[in-house]
Amino acid sequence: METIPITLPEERRKVPFRLAVASGKGGTGKSCVAASLILAAEDRVLAVDADVECPNLGGLLDWEKWESAPVRIPRPQVDPDRCDGCGACADACRFSAMLVFGKGPARVNDLCHGCGACALVCPKGAIFEEGVPVGWMTRGRGRGRDVLEGRLSVGQANPVPVLEELLAVAVGKGRDLVVDCPPGTSCSLVAALRLCSEALFVTECTPFGAADLSLALDVAEALQKPAMVVLNRSDLGDGGAEELCRRRNIPVVARFPFSRAIAEAYASGIPPYLVDEAWRSAMDALWAELKERSR
Amino acid sequence: MSVLREIVVLSGKGGAGKTCITASLGAVLPEAKVFCDADVDAPNLELLLAPEILEEEPFESGLRAEIDPGACTGCGRCEAACRFRAVVVRDGRARVDAFACEGCGVCALVCPERAVSFVSVVQGRLFRSRTVLGRFEHARLRPGGANSGKLVQLLRRRARETALREGVSVLLVDGPPGIACPAISSLAGANAALLVTEPTDSARADLLRIAELAGRFRVPFGIVLNKADLSREGARRTEELCAERRWPLLARFPFVEEIPRCIARREVPAKPLGEELHHLAERLSLLLPKAAECRMGV
Repeated sequence: METIPITLPEERRKVPFRLAVASGKGGTGKSCVAASLILAAEDRVLAVDADVECPNLGGLLDWEKWESAPVRIPRPQVDPDRCDGCGACADACRFSAMLVFGKGPARVNDLCHGCGACALVCPKGAIFEEGVPVGWMTRGRGRGRDVLEGRLSVGQANPVPVLEELLAVAVGKGRDLVVDCPPGTSCSLVAALRLCSEALFVTECTPFGAADLSLALDVAEALQKPAMVVLNRSDLGDGGAEELCRRRNIPVVARFPFSRAIAEAYASGIPPYLVDEAWRSAMDALWAELKERSR
Repeated sequence: MSVLREIVVLSGKGGAGKTCITASLGAVLPEAKVFCDADVDAPNLELLLAPEILEEEPFESGLRAEIDPGACTGCGRCEAACRFRAVVVRDGRARVDAFACEGCGVCALVCPERAVSFVSVVQGRLFRSRTVLGRFEHARLRPGGANSGKLVQLLRRRARETALREGVSVLLVDGPPGIACPAISSLAGANAALLVTEPTDSARADLLRIAELAGRFRVPFGIVLNKADLSREGARRTEELCAERRWPLLARFPFVEEIPRCIARREVPAKPLGEELHHLAERLSLLLPKAAECRMGV
């Protein structure tokens, strides 16, 4: 995979921490928590938007985009002059991405995972790989914080290469990271969590939120990442999420009741940290604790 | 015989209200219907529909490499060749990260000791259920599982089969958030899509992306503006966007605290959505004739 030439001021710190803000269920307030925590942090933190299918962190930080670069994945290309249609590539491909008809040259379709097996087995050396763009990485700055955003192009099926490239670049900076993760509990959450050191899960307190939080905690456990929870809209729903955290021994670091004022501010891109005292003090305290722990 | 109409509910942004709209629409549509939960890695529709599970089966998809520790010499060729950073040599032996392995087989191609074999992976479970509102096809991806797009494809195929077998004319698909593989698999070939949004900058940005995706797949869609009263200014902007793009705005629902209470009681929140829900059901049928034309390539 090609390295993206994005330059951010390097900083040397002993143990930078990399906090994943994730959720399981979507729309529970991940980006609000991530943006608020970033505002509570000192300005050396790097805000990373890893929700590459629907990135919204930059908007909440009112950012100005500075520089973008495409993220590419390797795609096989077949040299029709060298290919004799032997079919070795189609036999080797586990994803049915190479098709050979008769003696015609092999053709590649969208099922390609970019694993390189076809080029490896081609006896004629007819397959070479070329980077094709599947998304964008953008850096910028907003509300006094550096922001790095990954964005999958519409129509692309696999968000993981964009996520991995984004996190590799972010981790390479050696700074504290707050990573706004994608919702769900599948491969994209795994890709984001793998490169983070701990996870903060934001849940709403309905049975929906609790059920999805439980699955997300399973992922964190399997990857051996310590987890914490924020209970959002804690007054709407039931006690299921709270009970789940107690049972699984997961610390609840904040509880926020529903607020129309917060919802209205969020609607126009203003994170809760800037409009609500309870959010501000909780996020300041959480940041202080995270810093203390990473020392 | 009636034609099957498949309607998928999507949003881009999570938490917009897909599941509540799907279940509630199902409760008020007069036709017989089949439900399908395509949000396989965070499936919530089952919490509202209280399914009685009739059949259950594993979803096997893809392969995972296993390395014979007796045969492996730790040469590291597999590690160098793996594009997914799924093989790491430690203490003189190659080890496979089960979460990262895509089962492509490259490690086996380069292994001089033939130490690599492959096992098929159970990525989740499929369920065929009965509910008071109709038949229900759903699944659970294992946490951290892959191939959710394939699982969604399979699930929709099963749901269509059930619908045709039962002579049901409406299939309601509760879609996943996002715009990638499971969303694409939910959308491709559907007759119509409902795109649920909120009056926020974030939801509007995500709506643009999911609408673009629906456009690419030529699936006609209508917009449902949920929690519209949480921001008057935001609602106005979303309405303007719909007018400008000529997207039909099929319904506007206010934010009602009774809805999370309904969810807490595991009840379908049709009642708190009020009259507007019935209007949505009627307007949906206006969207559907277009779907039939579209399918015939008009």
